[in-house]
Amino acid sequence: MFLAWNEIKNNKLRFLLVTGVLVLISYLVFFLSGLANGLEQLNREAVDKWEADGIILTEEADLRLQQSILSADDFDGNGVDEYTELTQLSAIASNGTEKENVYIFAVKEDSFIMPAVTEGNVFMDAGEVIADDTLKENGFAIGDELSLSSTDETLEIVGFTDKARFNAAPVLFTDRNTLETLQYGETVEEADDAVNAFVIRTDNLGRVETDEALQVVDTEIFIKNLPGYTEQNLTLTWMIYFLFIISAVVLAIFLYVLTIQKISIFGVMKAQGISSGYLARSVIGQTFLLSLAGVWIGVVLAVVTGLFLPAAVPVAFNYIEMLIYGIVLIAVSVIGAFISVQTIVRIDPLKAIGG
Amino acid sequence: MSILELKKVQKIFGSGRTKVEAMKKTDFEAEKGELIAVIGPSGSGKSTFLSLAGGLQTPTSGEVMINGTALADLAEKKRAKLRLKEIGFVLQASNLVPYLNVGQQMQLLNKVKKGNMRKEEAETLYQTLGIEHLLHHFPKDLSGGEKQRVAIAKALYTNPSIILADEPTASLDSDRAFEVMNMLKEITKEKQKATIVVTHDTRLIDDCDKVYKMIDGKLELQEKIHHMI
Ligand SMILES: Nc1ncnc2c1ncn2[C@@H]1O[C@H](COP(=O)(O)OP(=O)(O)OP(=O)(O)O)[C@@H](O)[C@H]1O
Ligand SMILES: [Mg+2]
Repeated sequence: MFLAWNEIKNNKLRFLLVTGVLVLISYLVFFLSGLANGLEQLNREAVDKWEADGIILTEEADLRLQQSILSADDFDGNGVDEYTELTQLSAIASNGTEKENVYIFAVKEDSFIMPAVTEGNVFMDAGEVIADDTLKENGFAIGDELSLSSTDETLEIVGFTDKARFNAAPVLFTDRNTLETLQYGETVEEADDAVNAFVIRTDNLGRVETDEALQVVDTEIFIKNLPGYTEQNLTLTWMIYFLFIISAVVLAIFLYVLTIQKISIFGVMKAQGISSGYLARSVIGQTFLLSLAGVWIGVVLAVVTGLFLPAAVPVAFNYIEMLIYGIVLIAVSVIGAFISVQTIVRIDPLKAIGG
Repeated sequence: MSILELKKVQKIFGSGRTKVEAMKKTDFEAEKGELIAVIGPSGSGKSTFLSLAGGLQTPTSGEVMINGTALADLAEKKRAKLRLKEIGFVLQASNLVPYLNVGQQMQLLNKVKKGNMRKEEAETLYQTLGIEHLLHHFPKDLSGGEKQRVAIAKALYTNPSIILADEPTASLDSDRAFEVMNMLKEITKEKQKATIVVTHDTRLIDDCDKVYKMIDGKLELQEKIHHMI
């Protein structure tokens, strides 16, 4: 470390540039991972909150909630610990000034998918809803009367809940009566008891027995099949993987050039009898220091950027994932340094003799 | 036993038309406490001789023994260790690490080897070489002569048993050159080292125990002519 550290101190600009490259790469990696994570949240938050193991849809719905229409008594709870029905509708909701694409979920008030209210009250009377609190950030408030795109009926926000976005839109929770009124109008007294899905909790999805026409789907698979979810995710994940490869190459080249410049110095030290091992450790230690600094600054920059971004950009940092990516970045840099180490081992001390 | 011994050592560079026999088959010995000078024209093979003796390159044929160990029998790693322990090089080109100051050049040696000069010893050395005020300077801020003196300090700092110096006084004024030569002699005698100095300055060889002349790769022992002028 003695050599490594003194070299850094005496070639500040050079090492600042190397660290700068590292900072930029790690900044990009962390920011993209934040974005990927945010986009995931945007799509699955509401489903994650159910803490459900599976969901029952009709076979022909092809894993799409909207397309699955079944009857509330199609499933009798065979083989599950808990189950409840879910009915949904998507619409454009407006409070007069703001407009927002929303999902309306009808849930039973005593079921495990009933959200906890973080502000205001639970829905009681017809037309009352609990809203996801991103709506609050977007200018909606308790007491707002919401007009909907598909019907003349209106809804009223009576409370907010957190973490309730589904497929990139905030969710409004209400009871089935209200939802049926939206769907069929007030005149239909005895609507059929159609629901979209059953949400279930069980230790063993394989044990759940249903009609032929129904399908038990693992929650994770259901999420993966949300429109656009897998595509977005894979795109960003691959970008991150490519960044790792690119950063490995860029750093390896950088370190190699630095090492080439120092061949005669290494030759001098080797002539004196300083071992290749000591010099190699010094280069690797140096790379470790620089990449640690670069990655650390990259993290800070990414998180700070996240704070200043408009709410519309969905960044959410998963610190465990960032830790792993950070370690990978440092490892990639150190591996890059090993290429330089091979050069050092091959340097002929005779180079130092000169004339 | 000689501390340094070359047996029929020969070095050939290249082959065919570009073949150069930089060193013809040579026998050579150096004892502890001996100060040996090597003179000779440019390109005659003096540096080649030193690098062979110090194990920096392997001879085409023949054997180099340091302290009874044949260098050819050692792997590069062991040879590096031996160099570090037994040999102090003063190279013709500067052998300073550019990003370490003078004091740190010595500190580096402490990091990689035990048994270097103690503080007081080193301070005396710096004073003799006139570099005690330069310890915080970096090589780029030193004059050619100052660099040379630091290089000498570096070579002596590890308490080697063999000192190989290639034109150590080349960029020094004559007073300083004499001083350095005297110091090398003192250390050689006092600490029983074998010192080989390549030089073209014939005024400096009077005090040496033996003088060799290198001509076209052939090393010849010179009769010492005393009391000339
Ligand atoms: N690596 C090498 N490859 C080919 N030829 C070499 C090599 N090293 C030295 N020589 C040749 O060997 C001969 C002796 O070179 P050497 O450097 O030993 O001379 P020298 O006596 O030290 O000269 P000077 O006084 O100028 O330093 C020269 O002709 C030189 O060109
Ligand atoms: Mg020479």
